Amino acid sequence: MILGDVLGTPVHDGDGNRLGRVADARFVIDGAPGQLMAGARLFGLVVSPHSAASFLGYERTGLTQPWPLARILRWRHRGSFLVQWHDIAMIGPDSVALRADFTRYDPALPKRAGGG
Amino acid sequence: MNPDGPLSPHPPVAGRVLDAQLHLLDRQVLDADGVPVTTADDIEIDGLEAGVPIPPGAPAPSLTALLTGPVLGTRIFGGRPPSSRLIRILWKDVADVGIVISLGVRGGSLDADWVERWVRDKIIARIPGGRHDPR
Repeated sequence: MILGDVLGTPVHDGDGNRLGRVADARFVIDGAPGQLMAGARLFGLVVSPHSAASFLGYERTGLTQPWPLARILRWRHRGSFLVQWHDIAMIGPDSVALRADFTRYDPALPKRAGGG
Repeated sequence: MNPDGPLSPHPPVAGRVLDAQLHLLDRQVLDADGVPVTTADDIEIDGLEAGVPIPPGAPAPSLTALLTGPVLGTRIFGGRPPSSRLIRILWKDVADVGIVISLGVRGGSLDADWVERWVRDKIIARIPGGRHDPR
């Protein structure tokens, strides 16, 4: 599957309620060691209730400068959350379905990856 | 900001965390010599079938390749090029992800810069003086 087909796709919970759109996909490099880098696995999807995509990722980093831009973008991406892979029931061409008992996590990045 | 209150951070993970949009897509790709190769336009995920229910406990899909191709038109008008037009840069060839994506292989061995090689061999080489470095 190509990631571009998933980004921007509507996300629904187990009852069919619309939660937002897929703003990003999070990977973790902790797979089998390779010659250069270890394998990367899909850790989860970042869901944004108010926007189809994420812009600059202010809602996932601790950046606050420039102040007006940070405030506007944080407001635009308010309510964003991360769902882990095991909470995803199906990724279809037109929508992503979550399991009934899915958990919302803070989409913030760990500190060391935030500056990248 | 959140109507349900602050969310808890996700469980800690052992490896480095990369968000596709923030850390991979649209980043410049440099080969082992630091020569620009292309940009990462999309990502190929293995182990995920569109529209097929995911059984509980299924292993997570893996990132197998960065994709590049003629995406300018589709960026403007929507959609994406057919999969057959996208060129794959295997994840196993990626050496580091930072401001740019660094590869551990030379660009000459990749399909990603075939256009540049074709222009060099078919056009630039036929211009008088085009076969050697400028003096």
